[in-house]
Amino acid sequence: MIIQSQSQNNSTHHLLSGYTAGLPSMDEMWGEQGHLRAHWQALIDKMQALGGEELGQRQQEVLRLLRENGVTYSVYDDPQGLNRPWKLDPVPMLIAKADWQITEAGLKQRAELLNLILADIYGERQLIKDGLLPLELVYNHSGFLRACDQVRLPGKYQLFLYAADLARGPDGRMWVISDRTQAPSGTGYALENRSAMARVFPDLFQNIPVRKLAHFFQALRNGLMALSAKQPDGSRKENPRIVVLTPGPHNETYFEHAYLASYLGYALVQGDDLMVRNGYVWLKTLGGLETVDIIIRRVDDEFCDPLELRKDSQLGVAGLLEVMRRGNVLVVNPLGSGVLENPALMAFLPSISRHLLNEELILPSVATWWCGQPKEQQYVLENLENLIIKTLDRQHKSTLVGQWLDKKQLADLRFAIQTRPHLYIGQEHVSFSTAPSLINGHLEPMNTVLRTFLVAQNDHYAVMPGGLTRSSSEKGNFLLVSNQKGGISKDTWIIGAEPENPVSSLHKPANYARASPSNANPSGVLPSRTAENLFWVGRYTERALSTARLLRTVLRNLNESNGVAQEPDIVCQQALLKALTHLTRTYPGFVDKGSQSRLQQPLTELLSIILDPVRPGSLSFTLKSLFRSVYAVRDRWSMDSWRVIDALEKEWQTLDSKQQADHPEATLRHVQNALDHLITTLVAFMGLNMETLSREQGWLLLDAGRRIELSLSLISMVRSTLVILQEAPAEYALQEAILTSNESLITYRFQYRTYLELQTVLDLLLMDTAHPRSLAYQLVQLQTHLSAFPRNLDKQRLSQEEKLLMEALTKLRLAEVSQLVKIADKATIREELDSLLAAMSRLLFKTSEVITLTFFNHAQGQQQLTLVTPYPEL
Amino acid sequence: MTYRIVHITRYKYHESVNLCHNEARLIPRSNAWQVCKFSQVNIEPLPEEYSEREDFFGNRVSYFAIQHPHEQLMVKVISEVQKTAIETQTDLFGGISWERAKLELLSNKPDLLDARQFVLESPMLASSLTVEQYARVSFTAGRPLLEATHDLMRRIHKDFDYVPKFTTIATPLSEIMRQRKGVCQDFAHLSIACLRSMGLPARYISGYLETVPAPGTERLTGADASHAWFSVFVPGSGWVDFDPTNNLIPSTKHITLAWGRDYSDVSPLKGVVFSAGKHALSVSVDVQRISG
Repeated sequence: MIIQSQSQNNSTHHLLSGYTAGLPSMDEMWGEQGHLRAHWQALIDKMQALGGEELGQRQQEVLRLLRENGVTYSVYDDPQGLNRPWKLDPVPMLIAKADWQITEAGLKQRAELLNLILADIYGERQLIKDGLLPLELVYNHSGFLRACDQVRLPGKYQLFLYAADLARGPDGRMWVISDRTQAPSGTGYALENRSAMARVFPDLFQNIPVRKLAHFFQALRNGLMALSAKQPDGSRKENPRIVVLTPGPHNETYFEHAYLASYLGYALVQGDDLMVRNGYVWLKTLGGLETVDIIIRRVDDEFCDPLELRKDSQLGVAGLLEVMRRGNVLVVNPLGSGVLENPALMAFLPSISRHLLNEELILPSVATWWCGQPKEQQYVLENLENLIIKTLDRQHKSTLVGQWLDKKQLADLRFAIQTRPHLYIGQEHVSFSTAPSLINGHLEPMNTVLRTFLVAQNDHYAVMPGGLTRSSSEKGNFLLVSNQKGGISKDTWIIGAEPENPVSSLHKPANYARASPSNANPSGVLPSRTAENLFWVGRYTERALSTARLLRTVLRNLNESNGVAQEPDIVCQQALLKALTHLTRTYPGFVDKGSQSRLQQPLTELLSIILDPVRPGSLSFTLKSLFRSVYAVRDRWSMDSWRVIDALEKEWQTLDSKQQADHPEATLRHVQNALDHLITTLVAFMGLNMETLSREQGWLLLDAGRRIELSLSLISMVRSTLVILQEAPAEYALQEAILTSNESLITYRFQYRTYLELQTVLDLLLMDTAHPRSLAYQLVQLQTHLSAFPRNLDKQRLSQEEKLLMEALTKLRLAEVSQLVKIADKATIREELDSLLAAMSRLLFKTSEVITLTFFNHAQGQQQLTLVTPYPEL
Repeated sequence: MTYRIVHITRYKYHESVNLCHNEARLIPRSNAWQVCKFSQVNIEPLPEEYSEREDFFGNRVSYFAIQHPHEQLMVKVISEVQKTAIETQTDLFGGISWERAKLELLSNKPDLLDARQFVLESPMLASSLTVEQYARVSFTAGRPLLEATHDLMRRIHKDFDYVPKFTTIATPLSEIMRQRKGVCQDFAHLSIACLRSMGLPARYISGYLETVPAPGTERLTGADASHAWFSVFVPGSGWVDFDPTNNLIPSTKHITLAWGRDYSDVSPLKGVVFSAGKHALSVSVDVQRISG
C-alpha cells in the first residue's frame, strides 16, 4: 500500500510539474490563489490517479478510435493527403455551472440580436437608416447578397443555426472572438469527441455531472420540424423531406456532413442531386424525383445558385433562390446569412443591442475599430504595431498581427488601409486564457478557443451544453488554434445537473412521435449519386478481388516453377500473364509491344500491376477508386464495414511506401501476404454489407455492380486462356489455374471427382446455375436485382436493361458446351466459344451503360452551362 | 414622345436542352422622365414557369424555366415607352462643387443613403490608381460637379476610340486604359470608376438609343442595339445622365431599361441550361418612334 501510494504521489507530481511556471495569462485550471479551481479538482485527482503514462496510452487509444471511425479533417494542399486524422487532447475543457449560466444567457442574447440584424439587413434596413449601422460596412461585405433581399424564413428566426467562438479574457469573462452564421461546422466533431472520451475514459466521467450533448441534436430536429410546420399557406407538413447539402468529399469538414446526415437520418446530397422544377426543389432518387422541403446547407451561400449568385459554381442548384422566394423550400441558414460574419460588426453591437433589446451585451466582444470612420481609422493607423488587423471581407480573409510585421510591411498595410479604409478593422491584441493539455505525459497550459452552438426553436434558442474546444498547436500562440493551422481539439464539459426540462421534451409537436420514424428512415429514397457510388463500390470490389486472385495464382505458379520450368509450365505461365494484362487492361504489358522481354522477366511488370498507384488497371489504382467511392457515400456504411475498409486503406498505403526497387524479391513476399489479406478483407467487407445495408437502400445496387464485374472478369479470363488451342498438358495446367483463380477448383473436384476436362470445366464456370461463381449464376442474380429496381417494379414490359440481360442469359442457355469446346480444322482458337463470350461481354457492358444512363444520370447526362448575353456593341 | 422597342434574343443549341432557368431584365423601368406604358414578354417555347419581380435596384426581372426538350430559345420583348424631355436640367457651370457634393453625402437622408451605395467598388469595377489619376485632371479644386463630369465625358470621348468587337465582358478596365479603345459599356464603366475614385456616386444604365438613318437611306428594322451610359448623383437635384460614347447629355432619345452598380447587375438575359453541346446566339433590337 505504501509503495503504491508513493508511486501515485510521484506521478501526481509529474502530471502538474512545471505547469504554473510562466503562465502567460489567466488559466482555466490554475486559480489566482495558487491552487486548482474547485471544478477541476475531481478531474485532476482522477487523472493523477491514472498517471501520465496511462493517460498517454489512452490518448493513443482515443486517436486510434477516431481514426478507425473515420473522423477526419481535410487540410487543403496537405502533403499528408486529403484526410487528416482528427486530433483530440484527453484533457477536457471544464466550465463551472455558474460560469456557464452567464455564458449561455450571453449567447442567447447575442443570437437574438444577430437574428434581428440579419432580418433587418434583408428587410427594412432600418438600422442603416437610423445610423446605427453604416451602409458601407454592410454593402462592402461580399456576404451581402443583393439577390437575397426580402427573402425570409417563416417565423421569427432567420438565423437558424449560430456558432460563436469564445475565449476567456483577462477579466475572467468569456469574450466573443468571432461569429459563425452561414453553415457553422463543429457540432458533429463535438459529438464524436464526447463519444470517444466516454468510451476510452469512462472512469473520468464517474461522479462528475457532465451535461449531455444529445439534447442539442434533438433540439435541432425539433427546430426543423417547427420550421416546416410554418407553411406560408398555414398548412402543416407532417413529414418534411430534409436533406443535408454538402460540397462533397473534398470539403474540409465532409466527415461531419456525412456523420450528421447519418446521425439525424437525413439524406446527404450534393448540388447536382437536386434540381428545380415547377417551382420546387427535387431530389433525384433511384425511384424518380422527390420534393425537398428543407435544406441544411453546408455549401457557402454564394455557391448555392449559379443562376442568381456565382455563375461559375457547380456546387449549387440553379433556380434555388427563386424557390426560396416563393416559400417552397426552406434553406438553413438562409442564403445571405454570411453577411453577419463581418468582424467590423462587433464595433456596433453594443449600441444596436441597447437600441433593439434595451440591454447591455452580456458577452463582450474584442475591442474593434472599423476604419470606415475617420476617428477610428486614425486610431488604428497610430496603433498599428499593437493591434490585430483584419479585412471585413471574407473573400480576402487575412489576419495580420501588428507586432509581427516589419517596417516595410507596416508601411504597406498603412497604405492599404488609407486607400480602402472601409475594408479594414483593427482589433485589440488580447491574451486569452490557457487550459491544460497533455503533452509528453504531463500537463501544459495552452491557449484555447471554445466554439459554442445554438439552434432556433419556436420561440427561443437552444444552446449546446458543451462545444468544440480547440487549443493552440504552439505554446503562447492563440492564433494557431484553428484546425487548418494544426490546432488540437478537446471535449468540453459543462459541469452541472441537467435542467429539469431538457429540450427534448419541450415543444414537442403532438404528432412528433408518429412522424419521426418515417422521417428518420426515408425508405426507398436513394439519391441517384449514392446509388451510383454503391454500384461502383460493388464493381471495384469485385475488380480488385478478381485481379488479386489471378495475381495470386500467377505468383504461385511463378514461385513453383522457379528455375526448373518445363515447356507446358512456361506456356501456361505465359498464358496467365497475358490473361492478367487482358483482365486489368494494362496494355501493352504481356500482350503488345515489348511483351517478349516482359514475359521472360515478368517481375517488374507484375509489381507495377500491383503497386503502381497512377497506372489505370493496377490493383493499387483500383483500390484507390474503391476507397474514393466508399468515401463518397460515407454515411451509408456501418461502423464495422467502415473499419474494415479503413484498415485496408492504411495497409495499402504502407505497402506502397515499402516498395523497394532494388529488392523486388523482398517486395514480392510482402505483396503476396498483402494479397491474401486483401482478399479476406474484401470478402469480409461484402459479407458485412450484406448484413447491414438494407435491401432497398442500396445493397441491390452494390450487388448488381458486383455481379456485372464478376461476369466481365470471368469472361475475360476464359477468353484469354481457354479459347486458344494449347498442347494438352499446358491446357490442363491452365484449366486448373483458372478454376483456382475463380475459387471453383474445390467445387469442381467435389462435383466431378475427375481429372479436369475442358467440357466439364466450362460447364461449371459458365453454365452451372447452382454454382455461385459461375457466369449463369451471376446473370440470374442480376436479373432478380434488376427486376427489383424501383422503376422496374409493377411494369408489364421489360426495361432496356432487362432486355439486354435476358438476351445474354438466353444466349448462354442456348449454347451447347459440347459445341463450344470444338475446334475447326487448322483453327487455333475455339471460334464458337470466343464469339459467345464476345457477345456476352458486349451485352454486359451495354447493360452497365444503360443502368448508368437511366438510374444515375445526375443532370440528364448534361452539363450545367451558364448563358450570359454578350456585351452589346454600340 | 413614344417609342416602340422590339428586343429579340435567340439561342440555338447544337444539342437538345431538357431544362433551363433564366432571368431577364428586359422590361423598361419607369422613372421621372419615362413611363413604360406596356411591355409584352414572348418566350418560345412556352415556359412552364414564369414570374416577375423587382430586384434590389428596382429593375423589373422576369424569371422563367423551360422544362421540356428544346433546340432553341427565343425571348422577344415588345415595349412602349413614353419619354418627356428632362426639364430639371441643372446648370452645368453653376451648382455645387464636387467636394461639396461629397460632404453632403455624409447624411442618412433616404435619397443620399441610396446614392451612397454607388460610391463603393462593385463586382466589375475595383478601384485603381491609374483610373484615379485619369479622373483627377477633370476634378480640379472647387470645380462644379456637373462641369467636372461633363469634362470627364468629353475627355473620354476624345481620348478613347470606339472599336466594336475589341473588348468582351471579361476585358478589365486596366486593359481599356492601356489600349484606349472599347465600346459603350467600357466607356460607361470607365466613367463610373473615375467618379467613384473621386468619392462620388455613379451608376450604370442599360437601355436603348433611337438611331436616325443617314439622309436618303431607309430606316432598317432591327439595326439598332442596346446601349449603355452612366449617371452621376448631384445632392439636391438627383441623378443626371451622361453618354460618353456620344459625348452628350441624354434627353428624349435615350430609353432606360435598367440600372445598377455595373453591367453585372443588369445583364439583359442570363440563364443556366443543362446541355452537352454548344450554342449560338443572335440579338436584334428595333427602336421605333411611334408618336411625338
